[in-house]
Amino acid sequence: MAEYETVIGLETHIQLNTLTKIFCACKADSWEDLPNSNICPVCTGLPGVLPVFNAEVAEKAVLLAEAMRAQVQPVSFFDRKNYFYPDLPKGYQISQFDQPLAVGGYLNVPVPAAADPQGKGYIRHVRIHKLHIEEDAGKTKNAGSRRMVDFNRCGVPLVEMVTEPDLRTADEAAQYLIRLRQLLRWIGISEADMEKGNLRCDGNVSIRPVGSNDLYTKTEIKNVNSIDSLREAIRKEIDRQIRTVEGGGRVEAWTLEWDEDAGVLRKMRSKETEADYRYFREPDLLPLEISSDWKQQILADFPERPLDRRQRFMDEYGLPEYDADILTQERGLSDYFEGAVKAYGGDPKRVSNWLMNDVLRMINEQNLTPVEMKLTPVYLAELIQLVDAGTINLTTGKALLQQVQDSGKKPAQLVEEQGLAQVSDQEAIRVVCQKVIDANPAEVEAYRSGKETLMGWFVGQVMRETKGKADAKTAGSILKELL
Amino acid sequence: MQLCDLSAVKLSRMLRAGEVSALEITESCLNRIGAVDGIPGRLDYVESEQDNTRVHAFITVTPDSAREQAREIDRKLAAGEDAGPLAGIPFSVKDVFCVENTPSTAASRILANFSSPYTAAPVQRMLDAGAVMVGKVNLDEFTFGSSNESSAFQPSPRNPWNTERVPGGSSGGSAASVAAGEALLSLGTDTAGSIRQPAAFCGVVGMKPTYGRVSRYGLIAFGSSLDCPGPVARSAADAALMMSTIAGEDSKDATTARVPVPDYSQSLDRDLRGMRIGLSPAFLQITYPDPDSGDYSQQPVPEEMQRAVMEAAAIYRALGAEIIEDVPMPNTKYGIPAYFVISRVEAASNLHRFDGVKYGYRTKNPVRDLKELYQRSRGDGFGLQPKLRILMGMYVSAAQYSEQYYQRALRVRTLIRRDYEEAFDPNGKFRLDALLTPTTPTTAFPVKDVFGDSVMMQYADQLTVTANHAGTPGISFPFGFDQAGLPIGVQLLGPDFSEDILLQLTHAYEQATVDAEWRKRRPALLEEV
Repeated sequence: MAEYETVIGLETHIQLNTLTKIFCACKADSWEDLPNSNICPVCTGLPGVLPVFNAEVAEKAVLLAEAMRAQVQPVSFFDRKNYFYPDLPKGYQISQFDQPLAVGGYLNVPVPAAADPQGKGYIRHVRIHKLHIEEDAGKTKNAGSRRMVDFNRCGVPLVEMVTEPDLRTADEAAQYLIRLRQLLRWIGISEADMEKGNLRCDGNVSIRPVGSNDLYTKTEIKNVNSIDSLREAIRKEIDRQIRTVEGGGRVEAWTLEWDEDAGVLRKMRSKETEADYRYFREPDLLPLEISSDWKQQILADFPERPLDRRQRFMDEYGLPEYDADILTQERGLSDYFEGAVKAYGGDPKRVSNWLMNDVLRMINEQNLTPVEMKLTPVYLAELIQLVDAGTINLTTGKALLQQVQDSGKKPAQLVEEQGLAQVSDQEAIRVVCQKVIDANPAEVEAYRSGKETLMGWFVGQVMRETKGKADAKTAGSILKELL
Repeated sequence: MQLCDLSAVKLSRMLRAGEVSALEITESCLNRIGAVDGIPGRLDYVESEQDNTRVHAFITVTPDSAREQAREIDRKLAAGEDAGPLAGIPFSVKDVFCVENTPSTAASRILANFSSPYTAAPVQRMLDAGAVMVGKVNLDEFTFGSSNESSAFQPSPRNPWNTERVPGGSSGGSAASVAAGEALLSLGTDTAGSIRQPAAFCGVVGMKPTYGRVSRYGLIAFGSSLDCPGPVARSAADAALMMSTIAGEDSKDATTARVPVPDYSQSLDRDLRGMRIGLSPAFLQITYPDPDSGDYSQQPVPEEMQRAVMEAAAIYRALGAEIIEDVPMPNTKYGIPAYFVISRVEAASNLHRFDGVKYGYRTKNPVRDLKELYQRSRGDGFGLQPKLRILMGMYVSAAQYSEQYYQRALRVRTLIRRDYEEAFDPNGKFRLDALLTPTTPTTAFPVKDVFGDSVMMQYADQLTVTANHAGTPGISFPFGFDQAGLPIGVQLLGPDFSEDILLQLTHAYEQATVDAEWRKRRPALLEEV
């Protein structure tokens, strides 16, 4: 049996989270709105209407191009893509064809050890072919013998981004989507929720003998609506193609549709003849010019990219990859972490531990965003410092997290108000220790006859007496001395 | 002479002086429509002999809303409120513009039942300026023609000067309604000459503005990169009044120009001395390819039309303008072939939306599937011209032919634009203010004469179409009459945004010939009323 390599390219449609649609003033987001409630003559293609381009679309698309390190073209053009379908009211889609908004770019996708057959993890360099702006179509659905059309989605702005055929496994494809989704949310241009359809992905899959550089006939997978489905659909398609070739058959250029419920791919159509969309320049719109001034304005607050930040957290703060990965999953969290590290001034790993063990759980369980936290990065740093200085012990520190969050008060103020400061006064602890010894003659006897493990019990009694405020180490040494 | 036979400028003055009411002016037009228009255009109509004696400019007359508007103008004037620069002036609208709550048919069966929920931008500007809409006038189906005969709404409009002749097209209803006094002004569209040619045939003034000067929002598109809404009027002064109202940037049309709009009425009386008016041999002949060999042949435009241009030039010379002869304009002969390709690619795409799904005609026959719904609805709904244009547009934009036809036509268009730039370059060899040409190679032809021969009909547009390619303005105005008593139009072409100059030159010609014998003529049809 020959060995095969898989070649995968992904075509993603990203719904931009602009306020209004791309060519009219209708609200762009129609999630949970009644059908045909966000429509107007322009987006429903009534006779005589004209599109007017929404500049916010260009701004968000330029942010994405920058995030992908793609080259924004100073002038790009809109074209008509002509075809008939009931959800396309003009009979053509306004898109970009030969002169798209941006070309080139790449994403260096970390593939984790778990997805690496060698078990080490590696980076997959995925090149971007092009990135263009277009309008979305509506939706149709069948209701009994009737066919219904909902035009709400008509004219919602999309960016179509196409990769080069650089991915080699289903896991890599899934990782690419995970990283893309992270990036889209990071730069704030899309909700990037696959279930809601604001991030859509088609996969082009082919196989070839290992060692070959040729591209073999590919199939196109459509209708996957989660990252897991994409991974599973690609795996199944790779298996099918290998079985076909091993069985003496030939892979044909099909378009396949993922059936989510059945977990199988179904053939939609043969693609032997490409559809001719008769592209030509959209005469109703001017060329899209992105001047260097405008571009500068758009990118003025461009953030550090998530994968760059992840690497920097490892390099600059010495975080393990695991920590860096989790802390940069979301931009707000990574900002929180960094704010806390700066305020803290000590070992960043210590901040990471507190964040990952405790703060992250609070965020998740209480459904908060880092920026909403009353337990600010500065307060978290202060709290850790209080523990470090022995002012409070670890248990008190952890208990205080939620109290700071609930009250919004400075940790030091809470310690003060509630008298939580650790009792480190030797004399005070000595008094309590003596009291514990006097009250428990049997245990003292046992300890003195050699049962040294009772020391823990004695310390526990002291802690109970002091309501946990005593420094356990100090108590231990005093007890040893008295006994 | 009735109120509706006066000029818009004069009626405006009388209205403001309280000598006449807006309602009286509107009634005058409605009476005229009743007297001369005959049966309005309708679907599946079989013509009778009698239809040849009427104008048939209208598809829809809107007397009720017109009277209501006129009364509102009278109320405003009585109350001393600002009633707008076009207060009380009746106008007609080519039925290719959407107007809220009126049928907007584009003269096609496929839109016969379409009532628009919104009003086109230039129509809205007219209404906002106080003009009174008396109705919507006929045209070639989707503006595809030069005679109005291709309308799905029959009887098609006739030429008021001779009702056995066509009014021209595609703004034939516009020109006929203005010439017959059914409206003072009309809003038309010009994609290859569709305002200027019918204006010439009907003896009225018609202007194709600079592309982007007047908003296309609400105009049911033919060739989106060529279409220009513009005025049809009986004089330069009336056209100027209308241009000042409809021109200007529109936030709903991204292709409108951010260029200030002058008051076109203010510049009409400027001095002509020192102006440079060009004549070009390319516009005194029609060049056309032999359909079999592909070789180009040339035919001079008739003597009568050439003489009109020369006489008009002589008048301009007498007024102090300089006449520059032999301006080459070498790419004029490619205007029609390039137009054939570009306009049809855009038209085919623009017609995609008429699919029987959302609005307009849907086949009554049972269909097996979606594809058959499209096929039958479009098959029944479109007339011959849309079908021909869809076929050709689809062919020349197909991936394997696009380079050979469409891309090449776009390059030709650039060359045509260059001809204009050279002629009007203020530092160039010719430094023209305007180019003077015949509007059409012939005067109005008889009904059914060339209809159906779409190639011949298209080549008749050779003198007007290049301005659409170049995006530059042009105006046709009445020169006089031919031997058969039909109006002859001459055309002035200018550089971008030179509408003021074209109107000024037209006005100067009108003033210079104000006492000419031919100006006293009226269409015979109007003598009855």
